[in-house]
Amino acid sequence: MDPKIIADLHKFYPEIVITGTFLLVIVADLVFGRLRRAVTFALTVLGLAAAFALTLPLFGAAPGTMFSDMVALDPMALFFKAFLILASLLVVLAAPGSRELSGSGLGEFYALLLGVTLGMILLASSTDLLMLFLSLEMVSVGSYIMVGYLRNDRQSNEASLKYLLFGAVSTGVMLYGITLLFGVTGSTKLIVIRHALAGAATPGENSLILLVSTLFILAGLGFKIAAVPFHFWCPDVYTGAPTPVTAFLSVAPKAAGFAILVRFFFTGLSQAGQGLTWITFASINWMPIVMVLSIVTMTFGNIAALRQENMKRLLAYSSIAHAGYILMGAVVLTSDGLQAVLVYLITYLFMNLGAFMIVIEIYNRTGSFELKDYRGFYRRSPFLSVSMSVFLLSLMGIPPLAGFFGKLYVFAAAVNRDLAWFAVIGALNSVVAVYYYARVMKTMVIDGGDETSPVHASWDSTALIWVMLIPTVGLMLFWDQVQKITSGSVGLFLGN
Amino acid sequence: MRLHLRQDWASVVSAVLSPRLPGEKPMLAQFSNVLIFMLMGLLFLVFALVLWRLLRPAGTYSDVKYETYECGEEAQGSAWIQFNIRFYVVALIFIIFDVEIIFLLPWAVVFKNLGLFAFVEGLIFIAILVVGLAYVWRKGDLAWVKPEDYRAAGEK
Repeated sequence: MDPKIIADLHKFYPEIVITGTFLLVIVADLVFGRLRRAVTFALTVLGLAAAFALTLPLFGAAPGTMFSDMVALDPMALFFKAFLILASLLVVLAAPGSRELSGSGLGEFYALLLGVTLGMILLASSTDLLMLFLSLEMVSVGSYIMVGYLRNDRQSNEASLKYLLFGAVSTGVMLYGITLLFGVTGSTKLIVIRHALAGAATPGENSLILLVSTLFILAGLGFKIAAVPFHFWCPDVYTGAPTPVTAFLSVAPKAAGFAILVRFFFTGLSQAGQGLTWITFASINWMPIVMVLSIVTMTFGNIAALRQENMKRLLAYSSIAHAGYILMGAVVLTSDGLQAVLVYLITYLFMNLGAFMIVIEIYNRTGSFELKDYRGFYRRSPFLSVSMSVFLLSLMGIPPLAGFFGKLYVFAAAVNRDLAWFAVIGALNSVVAVYYYARVMKTMVIDGGDETSPVHASWDSTALIWVMLIPTVGLMLFWDQVQKITSGSVGLFLGN
Repeated sequence: MRLHLRQDWASVVSAVLSPRLPGEKPMLAQFSNVLIFMLMGLLFLVFALVLWRLLRPAGTYSDVKYETYECGEEAQGSAWIQFNIRFYVVALIFIIFDVEIIFLLPWAVVFKNLGLFAFVEGLIFIAILVVGLAYVWRKGDLAWVKPEDYRAAGEK
């Protein structure tokens, strides 16, 4: 037998552990009677924690690929592995406390979440278009079911069906793009594709086919990160899905989508230029396309969020806008830009999950997602109102909260690449965003509500909110570490 | 960004008509296999139709010939009725075994050359699928009338 596969398995422990946990959770859900709620929860948490712990020793390993160049093992892949496992873990911790999910058994929920996590970490490290497609589907199919998890809730069912239809079409279009790219370059391996494009006999060869195939593939990736104009599913799905699932979708699969977007465009469709920059090929200059996508995404997301009355919908549009900012880091084609993407994702993980945790807790207590029911909440629960304000201020990008640093890195990366106008558009957008975030704060703190009965958050939600709150406020104290981790994680394996 | 359309279509045409690598057949020549398949298929169909025309007795009209063929049974009612949802569940469960066969067949073909490693791999694969089977079994989806529904009906 090929010893390479066995050797590669040793670097594949996180994935193997998640697969094993996935199976164990299903079996435990069937075998244990009354205890199964606790057992499946404990198994899932332990499995994810073990996978996270097993990812850490891999840092510093020589960059390379595994399983006949199917998945990469490089700093970027490892960063996303750790990031995505952590995001899933936080969502698992939030799930049992949610009133929406309490009616149904959670064993299948955990199993699905583990399956999606496995798909995400494979997606983030795919270096082959087939692997990319396969893991993208793995993430999508699991997400469709998780969105429709409330079987007797019509809104949840509708959201699931919409998500499925959109997902099926975009991944279908993407598959078509992949076949075109294969037809032109003769390979599904990103590294070989880059060599084929670099070795073109005449510059600008096949540029029409490459343009079409890139746009098609972008449709699939744009669907995953909810970039305009592939975002139509996003508000409805985020509103209809159980809130822990919404929180999960707004962070983890989105981050995985960014990981594969960066990997696809940087290892497949561009080559290393001078210094720490990349340059696109004469035959396919994707930079302006993604740049327009980024501007449209952030502008649309922010403007559409202005008039939202439902908190989940508001956060859905806000997450579309944030996808636009993150794209900005990817499109400037420098190592700084890639680092900005990673920094932004770290800050986004804590502030966005934190905001959703509070939405979950307020729903648990009041049974409403509507902004009008948040009126005068400061008098009912100062803790929830103040921590919500902190998360929203961070989402705005107010210093010294974490969100500010994410925006700072992204805009700085654009300015350093002589794209100051691009950074100005981003900054103007952040100003627009202040309005709707501040509106929520005003509703909670300044407005008076009819209801004045005090609301006490449960201890587990309080603890989780603190877990999000501390990094959101205190990330700048550990900035050396964040800087070191992110700047060390921009490395992509580009072939020998 | 400018698009050189004309030059580009030329490159598409040249990719189809001329080989990209030395010694390789051009794309169009590779498609000749497909063309031959298509022609053979067409020829086979025409041949069969002509042959039957020559062999079969002519002028025997009967109403029965125009009825829906249903494995020899007489068709009753319309097909536009509500099907039991359990048909879909059973079809989905079938996929577990279907996928099993698809992957195990090539595995079985090269099994002898790969030895113990392939054997263990196959076992792991089957074990994962067995979890799926155990899941549907425990959830009562193998029974035509799901036990829970049955119980619920009994309680009423």
